[in-house]
Amino acid sequence: MGEPLKNPVASRVLGTVGRTFIYLVMGIFAFMTIAPLIWLVISSFKSTQEFRLNRVGLPHVWTTVNYPGAWALGDFGHLIGNSVIYTVGGTLGIIFFSILAGFAFAKIKNRATPILYGSFVLGILLSIQSVMVPLFIEVSQLDKLLTDFFRLLGIIKAGSVNFFYDSRIGVLLIYIGSGLPTAIYLCTEYIKGIPYALVEAARMDGAGYFKIFRWLVLPMAIPIATTVAILNITNLWNEFALINILVSKAGLKSLPLGIFKFTGNLNSDYGKQFAALVIGMAPMLVFYLAFRKQITKGVAAGAIKG
Amino acid sequence: MVRRINARSEERLAYWVMVLPAVLLYLLVLGFPIIISIILSLSNYAGGKMFGGDAWRIVGFQQYGRLLRDTYFWFALKNNVYIVLVSIFGQLPLGFIFAYVIYRKVVKFGEFWQAVLYMPAIISVIVIGIMWAIIFSPSGIIAEVMNSIYSGSFGNQVQHIFASAGGFHVTDDVVKQLITASGPVAGQVFTDPVPELKSFLLSYTPDQFAMLKGDLVNLLGTKWSPVFLTKPDIAMLPVLFVVLWCWTGMYLILFLANMQKIDPQIIEAARIDGASEGQVMGSVVLPSLSGVIVNAAILCIAGSLNSFALIFAMTRGGPARVTEVLSIYMYDSAFSGSPNYPLANAISMAMVVFSMILIGATKLAERRFGGKE
Repeated sequence: MGEPLKNPVASRVLGTVGRTFIYLVMGIFAFMTIAPLIWLVISSFKSTQEFRLNRVGLPHVWTTVNYPGAWALGDFGHLIGNSVIYTVGGTLGIIFFSILAGFAFAKIKNRATPILYGSFVLGILLSIQSVMVPLFIEVSQLDKLLTDFFRLLGIIKAGSVNFFYDSRIGVLLIYIGSGLPTAIYLCTEYIKGIPYALVEAARMDGAGYFKIFRWLVLPMAIPIATTVAILNITNLWNEFALINILVSKAGLKSLPLGIFKFTGNLNSDYGKQFAALVIGMAPMLVFYLAFRKQITKGVAAGAIKG
Repeated sequence: MVRRINARSEERLAYWVMVLPAVLLYLLVLGFPIIISIILSLSNYAGGKMFGGDAWRIVGFQQYGRLLRDTYFWFALKNNVYIVLVSIFGQLPLGFIFAYVIYRKVVKFGEFWQAVLYMPAIISVIVIGIMWAIIFSPSGIIAEVMNSIYSGSFGNQVQHIFASAGGFHVTDDVVKQLITASGPVAGQVFTDPVPELKSFLLSYTPDQFAMLKGDLVNLLGTKWSPVFLTKPDIAMLPVLFVVLWCWTGMYLILFLANMQKIDPQIIEAARIDGASEGQVMGSVVLPSLSGVIVNAAILCIAGSLNSFALIFAMTRGGPARVTEVLSIYMYDSAFSGSPNYPLANAISMAMVVFSMILIGATKLAERRFGGKE
């Protein structure tokens, strides 16, 4: 430890300078967050013609014409519906399968556990984005194999099966799989903390493992399930890279995918573009403002390494 | 005895029923794709059916050889390294300092700062990317502000030139001064600036001076056109800047949560002994968070390979591919133009290896410098 500053005046001055500097840096960060968002919202209430002339100031004429226009053109009702399905379905799936596997890893002895659990933990660090091309090839090949198989059995005569590619089930399966490594780690470590005696006592009473899972582990795992839910709701709602390669039908697209395609097609219609961006970020911002404390806690708890 | 064997087999059955769904899903998203990636990167596969049907075969390591000689590959890798560096030397220290000043209440309104600084991480990166692309573009807010500054200053010059000429007197001298003030613009607008500008000025009456001034600014004022995302040498800077801005809040949250676990009495004791805030931060808080910092560094590295969506939305790797990262290069190899699946899969493997190396290095550093967790 260095020499403490003896001179209280110097210390106070340094403190003031330091504090001002900190306020400045944090202020710049905060400004860069708030100003663009406000600009975006304000601009979405200008007509495109007005935006061309007045890019910065408040609108002279406040108009809401961009919203119904963008909503209809981008089919946002549909997109949001799909995003809800992917997010809720994916999150529930991740919670269920990771508590299930976490219980087995933590409380049932098996020689396979070190290697299986270890590979899940390793997966926390591997980004699934790095395998998105082989993943795309895999899902399309699986569909081709299924098609051949069903034709062989005579279940289908013509056409092809879309079970993995361009299907809601395919997206959900990939989303659940991609959330599992972190979730299984969190759940396993959490369930390890449940006293073994409780499981043992239930076994003595003749309860099977599935009964124990349903009536003992599942209720006790609610806190960790909440953390897993928070982490995955934000991740899945905003997910883009994977769904971008998994889905091409318009009817199956999620909100981020729709926003991306929408703004790409419409480069110069700024009014609608801004409205679309506001529609794109509003649900998550509302979620954040409503559950900020829980989200913050979940993020801090979920930031774990392998 | 019989009952025990039943119990054992029930136990084994229960274990596998519980673990298998997760294992299969995990194989689907990571296990099989890695195997496919290894195989196809060594092949001449050109699409179509992998099993039965179209013929393809293993041809060896040519794609990897090609990557090593490929300037775009090294460019993309370099950009990935930049993102790792910004993460580790930007997001982490800033996040740590922000967390510390909020934790120690050096700044007021800690809750507010926390809420706002984390906000970018919650918004879809697609929205973030498009938003910043617009902001940095010629129609964006930065260009607008800069242009109003530029035109304001040119307007003042026009005012000044006419004021020193004593009102609206169109002389050759005034015309020449205006041309000088406009810099190179007059030469681009007019073929023969002096007479042409003079006749332009004379088409106004003295009481139309305000209008003339506005028209002159539009005609001759320097237009400031933003080059952030269009000039190849610097296009990566705005991207790195957005990366820094977007995820610093996440490390703030992470560090703050862990600082709140430190016994406050230790810090109070150090303060009473005369240590400054900076010394407390360096000598008390930093060491007790060393484990968390190593964790965060590993997360940074793993996360830096996840920058696909942001850059895809913001620049799509352009201009002239200078903001391309490995994931975008891989995506383009497979999905734009004529697909080159072997190359895309080789890049995929390169990414897996790249993250393994970085994580390994961090783990070594952890062992060397000892994370306490």
